[in-house]
Amino acid sequence: MTVATPEVVAEKRELAGINADYKEKFGFHDPETGYAYKAPKGLSREVVESISEYKDEPRWMRDFRLKALEHFEARPTPTWGGNLGQIDFDDIHYFVRASETNSRDWSEVPEDIKNTFDRLGIPEAERKFLSGVGAQYESEVVYHQVNEKLEAQGVIFTDMDTALREHEDLLRQYWATIIPANDNKLAALNSAVWSGGSFVYVPAGVKVEMPLQAYFRINTENMGQFERTLIIAEEGSEVHYIEGCTAPVYSSDSLHSAVVEIVAKPSARVRYTTVQNWSQNVYNLVTKRAVVHEKATMEWVDCNLGSKLTMKYPSIYLLGPEAHGEILSIAFAGAGQHQDAGGKIIHAAPRTSSSIFSKSISKDGGRATYRGLLEVANGATEARSKVVCDALLLDENSRSDTYPTIRIDENDADVGHEATVSKIGDEQLFYLQSRGLSEEEASKMIVNGFIEPVTKELPMEYAVELNRLIELQMEGSIG
Amino acid sequence: MPDTTGTSIPVCPLAALAPGQMRLVEHEGRKIGVFNCAGTLYAIEDRCSHDDGPLAEGEFDAEACTVECPRHGSLFDLTTGRPKTLPAYAPVQTFPIAVEDDTIVLEVE
Repeated sequence: MTVATPEVVAEKRELAGINADYKEKFGFHDPETGYAYKAPKGLSREVVESISEYKDEPRWMRDFRLKALEHFEARPTPTWGGNLGQIDFDDIHYFVRASETNSRDWSEVPEDIKNTFDRLGIPEAERKFLSGVGAQYESEVVYHQVNEKLEAQGVIFTDMDTALREHEDLLRQYWATIIPANDNKLAALNSAVWSGGSFVYVPAGVKVEMPLQAYFRINTENMGQFERTLIIAEEGSEVHYIEGCTAPVYSSDSLHSAVVEIVAKPSARVRYTTVQNWSQNVYNLVTKRAVVHEKATMEWVDCNLGSKLTMKYPSIYLLGPEAHGEILSIAFAGAGQHQDAGGKIIHAAPRTSSSIFSKSISKDGGRATYRGLLEVANGATEARSKVVCDALLLDENSRSDTYPTIRIDENDADVGHEATVSKIGDEQLFYLQSRGLSEEEASKMIVNGFIEPVTKELPMEYAVELNRLIELQMEGSIG
Repeated sequence: MPDTTGTSIPVCPLAALAPGQMRLVEHEGRKIGVFNCAGTLYAIEDRCSHDDGPLAEGEFDAEACTVECPRHGSLFDLTTGRPKTLPAYAPVQTFPIAVEDDTIVLEVE
């Protein structure tokens, strides 16, 4: 909880100066002068072949893309979840290369792009508290750097295109084994036109103390960004990967459809944190899945603040005995937004444990949906799980939906489910106002308290950033 | 586990199922796919363990001896019935298969 000390008041004044609104802070766009390549709008076999050819990929990857395209074309657009009917797949640029270079030195990054990431604070963050950084601009990664000590220990943190060139055998061993191209329509689309994303390999026993971060930026109008991330944590290793994303504010829609695959080997520990802050003209349709082996732990920390529509349900397959999974999901839906988020956990081995904590906030007519699955398979004896979904509605026009599915095929499972929907109460506001806070400050404080179980799991810098973003979203919501 | 004490079902003449081909057999309401992987025969239940998809209708890779579920893309090893990719994680049932007098014979419980 924030207290209105002089420091906090000063910080708020400072914040008001820096972050007037999304449009100024994140919603700017750069001129497209000097772009290396921009595919024409629309999706076809020729576009897919040209992406593969442009990247000089091996034959198997080209074939994988073309087969995925067939899956995409054969599948109908999903009619559940959010409204996808307005997406015009023919009105999207599927591949845009802004720069010919992928550099390990900021000074070599083209000026416009460098300025963008400077404004977003990426180089500063790297210096302060990260083990490695990747920055993707449009379809490709323009900057990638990893701590030399980690490299010496065998840690690989690079963009996916480079990984395909330099670590092909390792990549191919896991590629699309967690999320096959035909898993769903959007995964098929990503598989056909993927570009960029991160490849992370952590050798057995290596603990990456500071997080690795990737930052994704869309600049072009009517752009599709389709990065692909694969994280392999070998036995006993540990890694925390953080991703953030923003885009300019445009009147027409863009599409972001990522695929993220994670393998946590026995006793490994992986945490994957997302702070999603796309502009409100971006459809964010992402497939994320992790397999967790014996005594390993997987944690998804998923914060959805931006986008027009997000459909994202990070999944965890607990395949080894005593594996553990956690999903912390926070969704903030403002005017014109639909956050359809949640998570899936499948217990497929004995003595596995898990938890899903979902917090959603809806305001100004926004819609937040929790959609989740908890499954205890036959043979997953002594499974334990807890699912908690809390929704906060800030006004009468907003909407919250909860679709929890729980399937249990074992007799001795210990599963709990709690759900609450609440509104900010007049009494709570009155009490806080009687302590000297304005109505707006009181509302912010209540919201911050509501999401505190999630923010306390974030590294401090990200918790501060998330609170700031929420405060920005809250601006003008009262009165 | 395969049940070796069950009923013998004649499938077809061996010559009628060339390498790279699959034949669907129905027995008491249950469908079983019989696959010829480069001369070696395998049989698995025609039901994906993920969401009951018609497995035998999927793409059969005779060289790798796998079949891909047409519904969500799980790839199954025909020699063991185990999935090699998600979203399926449980194996499908396999059945013993033999050739008797140039006829392929399936053993079901």
